Amino acid sequence: MIRVAAVGDIHMGADSQGLLRPAFETLHDCADLLLLAGDLTRHGTPDEARVVAREVADLPVPVIAVLGNHDHHEERPEEVTAVLRDAGVQVLEGQSTVVEVDGARVGVAGTKGFGGGFVGRSGSEFGEPLMKEFIRYTRRCAEGLRASLEELAEQGCDTRVALTHFAPVPDTLAGEPLEIYPFLGSYLLAEAVDAAGADLAVHGHAHAGTEHGMTSGGVPVRNVAQPVIRKAFNVYHLRGHGHEGAAAVAASADRRA
Amino acid sequence: MNEQANVEYRIAHLKERLAAEELGELGIRVEARGSSVAVVGTVPSSHCREELLRTVHEELAGQTVHFDVVVAGSAAPDHPEEVV
Repeated sequence: MIRVAAVGDIHMGADSQGLLRPAFETLHDCADLLLLAGDLTRHGTPDEARVVAREVADLPVPVIAVLGNHDHHEERPEEVTAVLRDAGVQVLEGQSTVVEVDGARVGVAGTKGFGGGFVGRSGSEFGEPLMKEFIRYTRRCAEGLRASLEELAEQGCDTRVALTHFAPVPDTLAGEPLEIYPFLGSYLLAEAVDAAGADLAVHGHAHAGTEHGMTSGGVPVRNVAQPVIRKAFNVYHLRGHGHEGAAAVAASADRRA
Repeated sequence: MNEQANVEYRIAHLKERLAAEELGELGIRVEARGSSVAVVGTVPSSHCREELLRTVHEELAGQTVHFDVVVAGSAAPDHPEEVV
């Protein structure tokens, strides 16, 4: 069993130091890794990133993050990323990483993602250059997520998790005004997850949303925005099935047929 | 401009200010409800809550404002979820 701790939208600033650290120090008892689902800062300044870095430095579990839109606001995402990486955080953008847990390989693929909306209610690559670029940017994020998840499968990961800031499904936006759904996520992210396969998709961004959702392909989705989970993090237990497990499931299905 | 339109634009300006200033706050709902304004949501710290209240009172001076703003929980979870 793999124990995944996750939280997003912690929005740390100068007044935040120490707020989450006591809870994070309990991670060695309850989790194998900690995922940070973006919006770690308020404005994306290096100073705010240093608050986050100190909060998660030297934790007893690997810390893996994606950035969020707030972490881009000052237009210094490379500096924010560097500060976090110096503190040992793996920051993913169209990339993946593998964590070994008791001999099992746990893969995390991450991208910030972007908006655009959901099937039947989405923007499209049409019209003004800005509008086309809006959707193309989301598509590039989704393609990076898909390629990263596929890499993890090729590397024989027993468990794969998709980590984004923007939402892949509308389920976990319930509670947000319908009018802003296209700014909260995109079906392109879910399509990437379903095409490549994953055991869990984790995102943040939607503070007024709900925790639980699922992609069309049946991948569980969890909105871990701190205002949603109302805790320092949540812990999800996954039973990785890997390739052998997937083959066994397929064989079992064959026997039933 | 009639009073209703005026309130709506004041709310819009408040939202712009909350995003632009120290809080960088985009997750708070501010809505006209009848003759009053409701401010609802979760903020990261008690300092943010104080700053939010101060900014709202400043920007919506003269309006009746109802607050339902809480500080995000920071406790460790007491149980995991068995997902699959």
